[in-house]
Amino acid sequence: MMYEFRVNELAQEFGVHRNTIRNWIKSGAIPAKEGPGRRYLMKWSDYQALCEKFGKTPKKPPTSTGAEEEEKQEITPIHLKPKTQTFYPDPSWADVCLTCGTCASACPIAGVDGMDPRKIVRMAALGMEEELIETDWVWKCTMCAKCEEACPMNVEIVQLIRKIRSLRPRDRVPGPIHKGVINCLERGNNLGIPKDDFIFLLEDLSEEMAEECCPGFKAPVDVRGARILVTVNSKEPFAEPDDMKFWWKIFYAAGESWTIPSEYWEGVNWGLFSGDDEAMKTIVGRIVDNLKRLNCEGLLLPE
Amino acid sequence: MTKWFPEVLKKYKIYSVFDLLLEYLKEGRIKIDPTRHPQRTTYHDPCNYGRKSLKTFGIGYFEEGRIITKECAPDFVEMYPNREGNYCCGAGGGAWAMPFKAERVYYGRIKARQIQETEAELVVTPCHNCRDQIMKSLNKEYDLGVEVKYMWELVADSLILPGQDKGESEEKKGE
Repeated sequence: MMYEFRVNELAQEFGVHRNTIRNWIKSGAIPAKEGPGRRYLMKWSDYQALCEKFGKTPKKPPTSTGAEEEEKQEITPIHLKPKTQTFYPDPSWADVCLTCGTCASACPIAGVDGMDPRKIVRMAALGMEEELIETDWVWKCTMCAKCEEACPMNVEIVQLIRKIRSLRPRDRVPGPIHKGVINCLERGNNLGIPKDDFIFLLEDLSEEMAEECCPGFKAPVDVRGARILVTVNSKEPFAEPDDMKFWWKIFYAAGESWTIPSEYWEGVNWGLFSGDDEAMKTIVGRIVDNLKRLNCEGLLLPE
Repeated sequence: MTKWFPEVLKKYKIYSVFDLLLEYLKEGRIKIDPTRHPQRTTYHDPCNYGRKSLKTFGIGYFEEGRIITKECAPDFVEMYPNREGNYCCGAGGGAWAMPFKAERVYYGRIKARQIQETEAELVVTPCHNCRDQIMKSLNKEYDLGVEVKYMWELVADSLILPGQDKGESEEKKGE
């Protein structure tokens, strides 16, 4: 059975923009073919899968005769096992949740993958640890804390999500954030930019800036006794170096005494997101060492 | 840092981007030309500076960003809800780097609608992640047609540099 739609209709149904639907078709995220009259066709099962992914109820198939049998769903019982790991420090915590679902209604991605914050909290209370560690949903969540703000019982949902992330084996952390942490530990910054390249870039940019607007400007590296130690988000030297000039220009105008360390200047700590306390501590410790080494008065965090 | 290096906090002062910019403004160390950003402007509250900072450190940075933004761009409009009730851009918590692009764009639909409803031409935010998601993803996906700036970019672009007369502001408008 096929499902026929217009881009506009599908966009409305999922609450996204037409461009997004077109992009999804282009990238194959929606496996649809263009038909006549600006209509698209996709398999009914693909449409169902899409609905399931974002927690929507599929519309009745347009070609349905009405006599369709209700599919009998086999419900497999969940076998609960004794707890091996604890997601919360205090056993009474499990009873705090009222299961009211206010968290789920505050969450912008409730329904995606059939999950929402309430389910996460209940699964934790029931000890479904393996299932929680396996779900990608906790990585799609941005830990924005809307759920926690809405919760009438102050359940610490964000810390729970982070704890679940921390228990995923490190080689299966999605995306580059764990690699970034390793890079940062081994090479000093998340993107592994070598020291020489970094220094060269700073000199180059300084010259540009001196010409453009700020005569005599030079980015101060490793200046002992500077008032403020400045850290850098490694994506800037890597991909958007000109963006570093915004702060530099402000320092120049304010006549600030500041410095960037030549090593361990990374200001973004991905351990926070991957749930890696050990790495996070090491990386913070290096910044502290820099403060001491360069004898600065204060530290500016980049964001 | 509060957790692992409490002794360090006593010795060194930790500045957030807000603290330092406000200090410069209050002490008159930098001068701002508010005529360079006449367009309607809104401010996006990052989760980490607002809601989550309030919970973790007891201080949420809500007003600071607005004071700084209004100094530079006087035609200011709020998104609703805002401050601790604000909606996430959709790319926080490492999600910008995750391989779940469809979900990230879907997540941002609420933010995109909020921005559209303000009819602002410029969105200002003090967060790298939020700026990237709004500028590089939502702006295109949802046809927002807005300009997006870091808060410090807005300040840098509004600066009257020492020895500079007003002529510069005309030049800047072309960008």
